[in-house]
Amino acid sequence: MKFFRVGGAGWAVVLFLSAHGAAAAPDIAGTYWATSYSAKIDVVGGGEPPLTDAGKAAYAINRAGLADGSMVDRARRLCVPDGVPRVLATPYPFEVFQVPTGQVTLLYEMNHQVRVIVMDKPLAKLDSLMGDPWYNGHSVGRWDGDTLVVESAGYNETTFLDASGLPHSAALSTLERIRKVGDRLEDIVTIHDPQMYAGDWQARFLYEARADVRIEDYACNDTHRDLSQVSGVRTR
Amino acid sequence: MPGRLLVGALALGALCASALLPALAADPATGAPPGLDLSAPGVAWFGFVPPKAPDYTIAHAFNDYTSPPSGLGPVTDDPAHPFANNEVAREMRITSTYRVADLDNAEGRNLMPWVRDALRRQNALALAGRNGESREARCWETGVPAFHLNPGPMYVIQTAKEVVLLLAGRVRHIWLDVPHSAAPKPSWYGESVGHYDGDTLVVDTIGFNDRTFVDSYRTPHTDKLHVVERFRLIDDGKTLEVAFTVEDPGAFYQPWSGTRNRHRVANPNNRMREPDVCSEVSEDYFNLGLEPAPTAEKPDF
Repeated sequence: MKFFRVGGAGWAVVLFLSAHGAAAAPDIAGTYWATSYSAKIDVVGGGEPPLTDAGKAAYAINRAGLADGSMVDRARRLCVPDGVPRVLATPYPFEVFQVPTGQVTLLYEMNHQVRVIVMDKPLAKLDSLMGDPWYNGHSVGRWDGDTLVVESAGYNETTFLDASGLPHSAALSTLERIRKVGDRLEDIVTIHDPQMYAGDWQARFLYEARADVRIEDYACNDTHRDLSQVSGVRTR
Repeated sequence: MPGRLLVGALALGALCASALLPALAADPATGAPPGLDLSAPGVAWFGFVPPKAPDYTIAHAFNDYTSPPSGLGPVTDDPAHPFANNEVAREMRITSTYRVADLDNAEGRNLMPWVRDALRRQNALALAGRNGESREARCWETGVPAFHLNPGPMYVIQTAKEVVLLLAGRVRHIWLDVPHSAAPKPSWYGESVGHYDGDTLVVDTIGFNDRTFVDSYRTPHTDKLHVVERFRLIDDGKTLEVAFTVEDPGAFYQPWSGTRNRHRVANPNNRMREPDVCSEVSEDYFNLGLEPAPTAEKPDF
């Protein structure tokens, strides 16, 4: 907002800076891979997500359906995108791109999911996003110091928040704070969904930088890369 | 306000200098040569842009390769059973057909016997109205060069280390300025290594599995498939030409080549949408003997 008050010369400076924005932004580009996996999401501070009564009922239905097979885990069976935050728990590597300017792209090996984070633009209103829901939501981002802050909403209603069937509504919105911590990438996600959760809650994901890893092809029902070095993965 | 003017002049000078610099060398952020910036913000490369008036030639190129002016090209349709894709059908107000490959032209005779037999069987199915959809339409990974056939928008990410192609939910990685691995693990899109030759990106791909088809006629290949693609801009940067050569000593007697051009569509606010999820809408509702979309019988974790 402060730029609105500068004159013509100021705009030239702004243009100059934005033309070099890619170089000025913190560098989080690279390939990353988690070292552990949990089917059930770990809540920051411990305990359980603060489910509302509606949330508890939906979770019970999901868990029972997944257990007796009457409900299909579409992300694993049909290889549809996971949704946020489930995709953050991926035991496969992913890659972060900071080009072209104006967007950050997260490219996941699993089901070749792609999240395009549009930089420095406001997120459209929830009502309009809900008319065009995406599995991984619509995302905008901005830099807050060394941290990429990603706001997302407009999620497809059909996903789970984790592999245990944790529910969400179409009104889910998430806020991620992504930054480099030494040689690792940290993503702290805040879940906001008043229909299913009595209060906002957070989960934290950590990934190792892996310059030695190339993202591989991934096709549904194929044999994929060895995940034995990711603790908590139970290969079937 | 002379101070402010001075700052402005300096900033403008720096802006002009920075605008001129990329004309001299590759962009350090993208590694792209000045004449092959495919990843500018908001730029997408469409395989098909509807013509203003019905045009058979354009419509026919909807989801097909273009044959080279001379030499062996891709398999084409049997003149006795001309192929009408959905775009041709819509524009020409005729009924769309399934593809029947011409096995008697030079391209057909270039196929080894097992490949001809496979196409003969597929032709019979297509003529009977069965299994007529392309592998891509059945949600399978396409391999190369069939990756290029999708008429939708292709988005490109260029870094100094790699070029990423994103098209209809499919992703290819091209690793720049590195040699092939000694023994690449067979994969759907193979191992692609590339380099810029002036303003042309040259991509060499080996290490394919043998589970894809090289075209929409369902022409099979072996794991000896080797594809070389050359990406360059033509028509003042409005068209991305993708020229490719295919060789496979286990399937084709001679190498063959083709092109698949894409049109530049630029809109500063354009960003890649989340791709539609094919497996959701791929039921064989009308019992047409369609190949099932891949689903994971055993999830991998």
